[in-house]
Amino acid sequence: MLTDNVAPTALRERARDAGSRRPSARWGDRLAGVVMAAPAVIVFIAMFIVPMILAFVLSLTDWNGYSLRFDFIGFDNYRFAFRNPRTIDAAVFTAVIAVTGTILCNAVGLALAALISGPGRANTVLRTIFFYPYIISALIIGFLWSALLSPHGAVNGLLGTVGMAPVPFLTDPSFAKATVILTIVWAHFGFNMILYIAGIKSVPTEFYEAATVDGASRWQQFRSVTVPMIAPVVTVNLVLTLVGLLKVYDVVLALTDGGPAASTQTIVYQILKDSFAQSRLGLGAAQSVVLLVITAAIGLAVTFARRGAERKVTD
Amino acid sequence: MTTSVQDTPTRRRSRPAASERRSPLAALVRWIALGATALVMLVPLYVLVISAFKPQEEIVRHPLEISPSTFTLEFLWNAITSSKFNVIAAYGITLLFVALVNLFCILLSAPVAYVIARGRRKWHMALLLLFVSGLFIPGQVTLIPVVFVLRVLGLINTIPGFILFETAATLPVTIFLFSAYLRTVPRDIDEAAALDGAGRIRIFWSCIFPIMRPVVATVVVLNSIGVWNDFVSPQIILGAGSGIYTVTTGVYAAVGEFSTDYTVVFPTLLLAIAPIVVFFIIMQRHIIGGLVAGATKG
Repeated sequence: MLTDNVAPTALRERARDAGSRRPSARWGDRLAGVVMAAPAVIVFIAMFIVPMILAFVLSLTDWNGYSLRFDFIGFDNYRFAFRNPRTIDAAVFTAVIAVTGTILCNAVGLALAALISGPGRANTVLRTIFFYPYIISALIIGFLWSALLSPHGAVNGLLGTVGMAPVPFLTDPSFAKATVILTIVWAHFGFNMILYIAGIKSVPTEFYEAATVDGASRWQQFRSVTVPMIAPVVTVNLVLTLVGLLKVYDVVLALTDGGPAASTQTIVYQILKDSFAQSRLGLGAAQSVVLLVITAAIGLAVTFARRGAERKVTD
Repeated sequence: MTTSVQDTPTRRRSRPAASERRSPLAALVRWIALGATALVMLVPLYVLVISAFKPQEEIVRHPLEISPSTFTLEFLWNAITSSKFNVIAAYGITLLFVALVNLFCILLSAPVAYVIARGRRKWHMALLLLFVSGLFIPGQVTLIPVVFVLRVLGLINTIPGFILFETAATLPVTIFLFSAYLRTVPRDIDEAAALDGAGRIRIFWSCIFPIMRPVVATVVVLNSIGVWNDFVSPQIILGAGSGIYTVTTGVYAAVGEFSTDYTVVFPTLLLAIAPIVVFFIIMQRHIIGGLVAGATKG
């Protein structure tokens, strides 16, 4: 604790004292630094670094998850995964989710951000309404839409009252795929919108004034002032959404449980099913390693590709 | 466009709203688009809430209506007292997890972030890079080997094992945000306290940590939402056999089997989302601010 009323002489004395004790005080400081850093470093190594290495080691084994015994089986798990049509289908659907989901979330998010970035009560309320699903668990979002879109759900009930045939939202493979993607977009675009609004607000007003003086329309202002100025925010949004959607699982589990006919299984769904329902954690680990490599590659590629767009602004 | 240079000063204030500058047609299109989107966002929530108070037949036949004649609290009460999913216990356990993860996350992250922020050597930078690399490792990828590690430690299917994993998962973002914030705290405070004879650890907890309130609030918001909504980690690490259910794993256990019995589904979902929606409405500005900070700085 700092004492408030230290006499000046006492202070000076202590300062001199600290100066004379410098070597040992420095040692004490260093020891304190190690003591302060060590717990976090240990936990991080145990839960991140060791598992990263273990993921690769386990991917070369037939570990079943229960015992601590396993045999090394070389690259059999990788070979199996790449030849398994289920895994390929899951990878393709995950890629479709990631690409279309990212485009839709960002297009809708940016468009709405441009419309309601201003101050005012109505805009604040609309932001809340568009954003709220993001803070609800994806599992619950999945169960909600599953109940609403099932053959006897609210949506088909309403279609029935206006004399329309029921739509197989969850029971036809193509419809189910579209339903999964649209549900994800419904729950996620609000987050992208919030980030875009933060970006738009940080653009200096002078830029718009200059553009208005030059006679630019609102659309021209948006295209030639807003979009280039928020290029870094666009990058963050694209990377976060793309990388996040590669890991989609909870919402699929609740919405379709991977069905109908396994048409909506994602890669993480496949990993967890192989690992825990089939007790083949070695196989799951192999697929995890592949997913990690793909995630890192895509994250880096998008960040790198966007550099050009970002640099234009700073030049 | 009817704007001229003269109205610039007034426009500066109202520029972003600017609807008065739009043609009536553009304003109409804008409000139709916003109104339609708002309906798409709100109607599902509305149906969820009213369906929790109706019998099955009413839910299916009249999804958008709620009439006093069929209004009932019976199904909500059934959900609260369900033997499949003890909501009150799940609230308590999940809140306990949220509190413990926040506590350990801050206890672990704050001192190391302080060491990193004050350090001038290369290994301080290396330490920060080590933690930040964790941002790029998805939890699903490490989950399988984490099960192995926890099995070796004898912590699988236990609350300490789960708390350990969840806390570790919060470290990268937290340490990054904390050290970025601490760089803005002047060193004078440390030096004044050192002059007073306080050791480094004591300086940190009694002089520096109290200044970190805003960034601690951001981190608590991010962690709380993350832990409350997490499904995969409690499902795998705690496991169905442990008998410990969080709100999400409890909902999965209760709704998964009865997904066509809407008198079970809707009341259960309502109970599951009620706390987080109330929390969101009260803490809205902090939550949105925290998420923006976590995403753009991280």
